[in-house]
Amino acid sequence: MGGAVAADVTAAQGARPARGRRRGAPGVVELGLLSLGGFAAFFGLWFVVARSGVVPARFLPAPGVVAATFFHLTHDPFAGYTLQQHLLSSIGRFLMGFALAAAAGVPLGLLMGWFRWLDDVVSPVFEGFRFIAPIAWVPFAALWFGTGIGGPILIIFSGAFPPCVINAQRGARLIEPHLIEAARSLGAGHCRMFAEVLVPGALPSIVAGLRISAGLAWQSLVGAELIVVSSGVGYLMVQGQSNLATPIVMSGMIAIGIVGFLIDVALRAAEARIRRGWAGA
Amino acid sequence: MHIGATTDSRSYRRAVAAGRARMASAGRRPWIGAATVLGLAILWYVLTTATGAVSPARFPRPADVWSAALQLTLRGYAGGTLWLQIWYSSRLVLLGFLVAAATGVPLGLLMGMSRRAEALINPAFLLIRPIPPLAWIPLAIVWFGLGDAAKIFVIWFAAFVPALINTYTGVRTLDRTLIAAARVHGASERQILTEVMIPGALPLIFTGLRLSLQASWTTLVAAELVGAFFGLGRVLIIAAQDIYPGMIAFAMALVAILGALMTGCLGLLERWAVPWRRT
Amino acid sequence: MGRSMSQISFQSVSRVFRRGSEEILAVADVSLEVADREFVAIVGPSGCGKTTLLRMAAGLDFPSSGSVLVGAREVAEPGPDRAVVFQQFALFPWKTVRENIGFGLKCRGVPAAQRNAAVDRYIEMMGLQGHENAYPHQLSGGMQQRVAIARSYALEPEVLLMDEPFGALDAQTRIEMQEELIRLARVNPRTVLFITHAVEEAVYLADRVAVMTRRPGRLAEIIDVAPVRRAEAWEERPIEEVMDLGSFTHLRTRIWKMLRDEREAKAEAPRVTPLQRRKAGP
Ligand SMILES: Nc1ncnc2c1ncn2[C@@H]1O[C@H](COP(=O)(O)OP(=O)(O)OP(=O)(O)O)[C@@H](O)[C@H]1O
Ligand SMILES: [Mg+2]
Repeated sequence: MGGAVAADVTAAQGARPARGRRRGAPGVVELGLLSLGGFAAFFGLWFVVARSGVVPARFLPAPGVVAATFFHLTHDPFAGYTLQQHLLSSIGRFLMGFALAAAAGVPLGLLMGWFRWLDDVVSPVFEGFRFIAPIAWVPFAALWFGTGIGGPILIIFSGAFPPCVINAQRGARLIEPHLIEAARSLGAGHCRMFAEVLVPGALPSIVAGLRISAGLAWQSLVGAELIVVSSGVGYLMVQGQSNLATPIVMSGMIAIGIVGFLIDVALRAAEARIRRGWAGA
Repeated sequence: MHIGATTDSRSYRRAVAAGRARMASAGRRPWIGAATVLGLAILWYVLTTATGAVSPARFPRPADVWSAALQLTLRGYAGGTLWLQIWYSSRLVLLGFLVAAATGVPLGLLMGMSRRAEALINPAFLLIRPIPPLAWIPLAIVWFGLGDAAKIFVIWFAAFVPALINTYTGVRTLDRTLIAAARVHGASERQILTEVMIPGALPLIFTGLRLSLQASWTTLVAAELVGAFFGLGRVLIIAAQDIYPGMIAFAMALVAILGALMTGCLGLLERWAVPWRRT
Repeated sequence: MGRSMSQISFQSVSRVFRRGSEEILAVADVSLEVADREFVAIVGPSGCGKTTLLRMAAGLDFPSSGSVLVGAREVAEPGPDRAVVFQQFALFPWKTVRENIGFGLKCRGVPAAQRNAAVDRYIEMMGLQGHENAYPHQLSGGMQQRVAIARSYALEPEVLLMDEPFGALDAQTRIEMQEELIRLARVNPRTVLFITHAVEEAVYLADRVAVMTRRPGRLAEIIDVAPVRRAEAWEERPIEEVMDLGSFTHLRTRIWKMLRDEREAKAEAPRVTPLQRRKAGP
């Protein structure tokens, strides 16, 4: 669920039109100050609400307390491990699920883009499964794999697989027909067509799909860890939750946010690089 | 581009034989899809029931799913019958979604129209956005317990972001000459908002809403899995604890169907609200 | 023109497209022979089926009736013996100039050293030195088309099929490319089927110019330019001079007239069933 459509957001985000400055439009300095103000307001409000006692500190610890807890977690184990160890096991699962989804999804998508009949065969099943929220695989994950590594990977895979397939398929489908005809009349066979026309032609779309896929994989991982495993950041958060330890829960959220952000930045950079490489823009 | 229909049979066959599958873009061939689904159903029956190659303890037989469906509908499971569970889940999704749309869209409009508002709001947004909605679930439970409030809060987080981003982008990517044209014709700022900006951004707003709705649904199921008294997520987790594959499969199918239905309804609404965009 | 000598042979070729429930007769009963090493240009109103003819020779499309032979064999699929130059260049954006030109040779399995030598030769011939490692988007339109032409020539094909190859170029570049093509055709004669909208271009380049009727496309007439060209030694002269010659303007005007008559026929007699409207064949 959400794979293809997630593409819409990113496509939309990509489009940043230049906008001429109108009369009375704010200057860079003003905007910068406002942004700083925005940051200050966010933390200020948090701090004030937490300190004023309107909300009990048990529920809303002040920013400083959360920062201290975060730091503390990096050398004092909680729920069995330190924060880094939890993160490492999360990232390991993420990488396995994501790699599996990409390795299966991208070739499948390319083949679907190239062979119409395969598309006709696979699409209806694929569309049906896509509507199952990844997290709904949790019961089967538990049933089939117990607490083993397979469970979370199944869930991550089901989140990450659709965008890989959809974007590879769309990328292959949208390659300029003239390029394919040119390659054919230059004598390219199936293999060469795949390696030298289809894959490079669909690459921008594939990488965009991988980015969406990584985002969904990371998010599904968190969901999986809330339920089916006994290590990882999600597990740390659940343990924090059942101890009513809000700072620990928040530290987990921050760690998840940072890693998710870094994954996104890395894939965005890869995407920009490919676009710049030969597309000229 | 001549990738039109090449349907007269000789050239069609040759084209396909030559690997030009894309030449036959005469549209989908639904019967192939139907045949696939039928084939899978038969395979399912053969593997689980006719030959017993797959143990029913690991993967349900068609009959198991059917009896689970009957049980949930007639006698109820995990604290309620089918309708109660569906009602519980959809009610929460709709509530959360509406709250998110009612906050995300106006805020997106505001950020799209005013650079100052954007500069002021963006930092908080940037800080919160990388945290996946599901990661809010434990915090929501600490704050609000296992009841409705926690779910609505989490759904709001999940659905708010796409609604806002797409609305914002819709306004920002609007053709500036349209606004200039409206101004030239003497439109007031208010008219520009209601007559140009909102209709112009509407297609993207709906894209955002669709994403929001799907995020709402996924998040709700997750939240119910983590802890709830009723709902389809609750059915799923109880079925998992009972090791009841038939019920798991039925509940998953329900999750998929309801998700598809909701998206479909929003699509209808979109067709009605954005008649000039046909996709 | 003896049939055994011809390289490309359209034999009563028709092509019907189906668009929804509508049937479109794009090409109606065209017979045309292009001899070995002959340069034939096709002109005709937009939508008359020129591209369709060329695609059938390339093996990218197939006749609904009749047959298309290249080198005495019926065309069944695209192949490197018939290189196509597309109006949109169709260069691979992810390959450099060198890689684009070498692509066909690579497909054919030519070893790298030999391939590089051939690529170098064509890079020099087309004046692309210094741009070997550029990507297509870094080149001007004229240079891109040069790469596309070099890519086709590098295959040393029997037959070159060119679909409005200079259509996307500005007037100046276009003239340069026309001269280039004439020069190339002298060093390296090939059988060429060349489609264009520009009558002058057709007369300047071709041995024969085939004029087509509006849809459904048939051959209205074929005009032999080669004898005049040879008699007046057009190839020795600069293009401006040729285009000023009386013989040249005469031919050009004749073709223009034919095309205009076609247009007017359209205005007067809009709906005649295709089969009744048989015009003079070649
Ligand atoms: N794949 C297709 N499906 C349906 N109709 C087609 C297809 N290809 C071409 N046609 C129709 O056949 C006719 C001839 O097309 P063609 O492209 O050969 O014309 P053309 O002479 O090359 O025109 P132009 O000079 O504008 O390039 C047109 O009316 C076109 O609409
Ligand atoms: Mg054409």
